[in-house]
Amino acid sequence: MGATTSVHRTIDAVWRMESAKVIAALARYTRDVGLAEEMAQDALVAALEQWPEEGVPRNPGAWLTTTAKRRAIDQIRRRENFNRKVEEIGRDVQEATPDASEGIEDEIGDDLLSLIFTACHPVLGTEARVALTLKMLGGLKTEEIARAFLVSDSTVAQRIVRAKKALADAGVPFEVPEGPELAPRLASVLEVIYLIFNEGYSATQGDDWMRPELCAEALRLGRVLAELAPKEAEVHSLVALMEIQASRSKARTGPGGEPVLLLEQDRGKWDWLLIGRGLKALERAEALNQPPGPYYVQAALAACHGRARKAEDTDWQRIATLYQVLAQISPSPIVELNRAVALSMAFGPAAGLALVDEIAGEKALQGYHLLPSVRGDLLMKLGRTKEAKAEFEKAASLTRNERERTLLLERAAACD
Amino acid sequence: MRFMVFVRSPLPLAALHKDALVRAGVLLDVGDLVPAAFGVSGYWLIDVRTKEEAVERVRRIPLPACVVEIRQVAVV
Repeated sequence: MGATTSVHRTIDAVWRMESAKVIAALARYTRDVGLAEEMAQDALVAALEQWPEEGVPRNPGAWLTTTAKRRAIDQIRRRENFNRKVEEIGRDVQEATPDASEGIEDEIGDDLLSLIFTACHPVLGTEARVALTLKMLGGLKTEEIARAFLVSDSTVAQRIVRAKKALADAGVPFEVPEGPELAPRLASVLEVIYLIFNEGYSATQGDDWMRPELCAEALRLGRVLAELAPKEAEVHSLVALMEIQASRSKARTGPGGEPVLLLEQDRGKWDWLLIGRGLKALERAEALNQPPGPYYVQAALAACHGRARKAEDTDWQRIATLYQVLAQISPSPIVELNRAVALSMAFGPAAGLALVDEIAGEKALQGYHLLPSVRGDLLMKLGRTKEAKAEFEKAASLTRNERERTLLLERAAACD
Repeated sequence: MRFMVFVRSPLPLAALHKDALVRAGVLLDVGDLVPAAFGVSGYWLIDVRTKEEAVERVRRIPLPACVVEIRQVAVV
């Protein structure tokens, strides 16, 4: 029994490592990602039957691919009108399994990239894209995805079935998009990876351990993508952003699970290895000399904090400049509010307050508790305590977070 | 979970054989060490999902004859 479980754990590991490559290689031939995924699952079932008896083969990935291809041929033979495809796949199965060499790696790389672009195709809703990506690229089981997203197994299973059907119905080709199509398609891929990361990042104490694991999953996917598409600055930027954010995971909550603000975090608890990796990824993005995209600016902002061993060392002038760049790429009053905070840190509270007052009338900021909260903070620093008190009280009435409300009321009381 | 993989060999091998780990998105750090007779010649620090995955990933690396030790990094 012990030996069986150990083989099963090895099969699990092999599956997570190989499934994306198996599905990708198969999809290249069948041109049907849904079929490719099903046949890969069949190959997994075969492995679960045979490997505990016969042992894990020397090259398990090749074994899975060959088995899956044979199943695909059987499957397609049953639908007789696919004769030409059968010939193509048949020829390939006859050929000896090639050893890994440069050319083969490139081919696998292209297939994997095609698979990522297909799983993240914009014809699919975000939930479907996330589920397909974790299933086909991450090698996660349906129940693992369900646990990570706090939904039922059947919900995830349905999402995947519908997504595969939607891809087939839309006739989405299995390829890497080119030309003007590339940018929006890449944006869709990056969005999915960052969504997965943030889902993991929002996990709280007591959550299923699969939830925080999503951060690691997204990081691995991002790093894989950075190797597959090394000339895309936004890919490196997203990796940089995730590495730096992940570096703070041990410092961002207090002993009671309460959130600790960035400037108040114990930087000794930051993971400096990940910060170093993030800064390196950012350098790779910068070396490509492309116009700054939204992930670049966010990563560069995160890096300003990451470079500072102490909160006082933060380069606020650079942060203010980066928020200005971000405001140009995606203008929003909330970005302006952040810029106001950066300006106040760099040049004093009066500079920040001038900008806050400029944007205070913005419709999007009405009812947003951080506007009076920031304004109160700046007024307080300027010694205008009476006005500050009113702002803190207003902010307290707007926030829905109990802990934050207490904090704001304390600040209001301190103004007297 | 993180694993530190020590490679023991007369000549450094870790940096030379890092590519597959990089492509898989699991390599956090790699280093070769100054040679010492029969000592550790280099290391990989990897982030993988299970111990079995660490073993499988390392097993696939086409290393010449050498001894490899895989140790899980303690979580503080």
